[in-house]
Amino acid sequence: MTPTQLDSKNPGSALAISGLSKVFNAGNPNEVTALSDVHLDVHTGEFISLIGPSGCGKSTLLRVIGDLTGFDSGSVQVSGKSPQDARKERLYGIAFQQAALFDWRTVTRNIELPLELAGWQRPQRQERSAELLDMVQLSEFAHHRPWELSGGMQQRVAIARSLAVDPPLLLMDEPFGALDEMTRERMQNELLKIRMETGKTIVFVTHSIPEAVYLSDRVVVMSPRPGRITAEIDVDLGDREEMTRESDHFFRCVTSVREALRAHGTSNSTSSSPGGEI
Amino acid sequence: MMNTKLGHVWPPILVATLFLGGWQLLVVVQDLKPFLLPAPSLIASEFSSGAAMMWGAAYYTATTAFLGLISGTVLGLITALLAQRFITVDKLVAPLAAGLATVPIIALTPILNNMFNITSRTPRVLVTAIIVLFPIFVNVTRGLIQVHATQLELMRSLNATPRTTLRVLRIPNAIPFFFTGLKIAAPLSVIAALVAEYFGGPQQGLGSRIASAAANTAYGRAWAYVLAAIITGLIFYLAIIALERLVTPRKAQVSTTT
Repeated sequence: MTPTQLDSKNPGSALAISGLSKVFNAGNPNEVTALSDVHLDVHTGEFISLIGPSGCGKSTLLRVIGDLTGFDSGSVQVSGKSPQDARKERLYGIAFQQAALFDWRTVTRNIELPLELAGWQRPQRQERSAELLDMVQLSEFAHHRPWELSGGMQQRVAIARSLAVDPPLLLMDEPFGALDEMTRERMQNELLKIRMETGKTIVFVTHSIPEAVYLSDRVVVMSPRPGRITAEIDVDLGDREEMTRESDHFFRCVTSVREALRAHGTSNSTSSSPGGEI
Repeated sequence: MMNTKLGHVWPPILVATLFLGGWQLLVVVQDLKPFLLPAPSLIASEFSSGAAMMWGAAYYTATTAFLGLISGTVLGLITALLAQRFITVDKLVAPLAAGLATVPIIALTPILNNMFNITSRTPRVLVTAIIVLFPIFVNVTRGLIQVHATQLELMRSLNATPRTTLRVLRIPNAIPFFFTGLKIAAPLSVIAALVAEYFGGPQQGLGSRIASAAANTAYGRAWAYVLAAIITGLIFYLAIIALERLVTPRKAQVSTTT
């Protein structure tokens, strides 16, 4: 984190979370503490990854930020606003593991969906979607249907859609999780390129340690039961290039993330209860 | 494109030819009497000699079926739109569909005949509409509900109201399901309109003609009317297929039928 703690009023703060807790099935025997006392600050333009084993609450945290689910206590500020207001003002775009494209719409019309809902007029929509298609290099597929595209291409359409209204924040829930390794690495490079071009703040959920390290400025390590943040590792790899993935510095970062994950994975495994997956 | 179309067309024609040839052969060789099984040649000659009558009867029954199909579809769509506000899980649709399927709707005809003017078309249209309503309702409700959770989350992230979600996501999602329902409902509407004629009322339809021909031991003619009924049902079915081709892109058509 930056030396001076950015407060929520500061325009430099993209995301300010403090003391956040969330409980599923409160009061029931199968009560699960999904998130416990989570503190997280993300400044504008930063790329952070949330990583951790299944059930650590990383997807839940992303959904709390996006106001797709509520929380029980603590405070969450997205660009200085409540998650609900941020969602209503369309201050974030989201991409999921499934591209979740609409089969009955062409690629262009899928990308234009957020613009339609935001009340954009047709000429502006078309101009914007052409721009985005160009950015994700799918211009020649503008009038194809989603099912005619490969998994990687579909995910690029989904990313273009998440960028449509030009929101300052991008939430990504394992968007490359279903792709093969080669496609995945190419998509990672494309995402970094898009980030360079747009300067978005990105919160990225992943299972993959190398992916988290390669993409992020900071890797936030989470641990389950209860879901919480156990470590934050700054990654200072500079500009990414082909050799970055093979550099010693990259491996050192991967190792420290892995150790941070293991530190809590082992201490927890003895007390873990079956069926506690979130 | 052309090849696949021909590929679809030839096998049924071949099967039909073999079937009719075998039938004719069976009747001739075994010397079967027409009241047991009339030969296809007899049916064909009755069909062509009575073509004007066939056409008139088919036109009457098809009109009943069409009116029933339209009103039943509209009612089915309205009930499905209402139901999707209350039924949120697909699991609830299946028992509902099974329950509805056990209602012997055609048996309502004599009752409806008494409720409405038996000399009018109304009771028949009504029975047809009720029969059509169910497959439309069940399939469309399913299509409105079976939406991917991720797509719903996306709509929420875009601050979409339930009404917008219905318009942008649920209704387009339900269109292939709607056509699945229509493909069941369309031939069914012809059968319903025809069977409803067995319970009295105006006598110019296919059902009435089949019944009176059989009563007069004119079996060839009865079968010729059955053939006219089959053709009518087929035309209804093909009209729906054509409509589907017109409305939906290729992929969506197969998604619910497989």
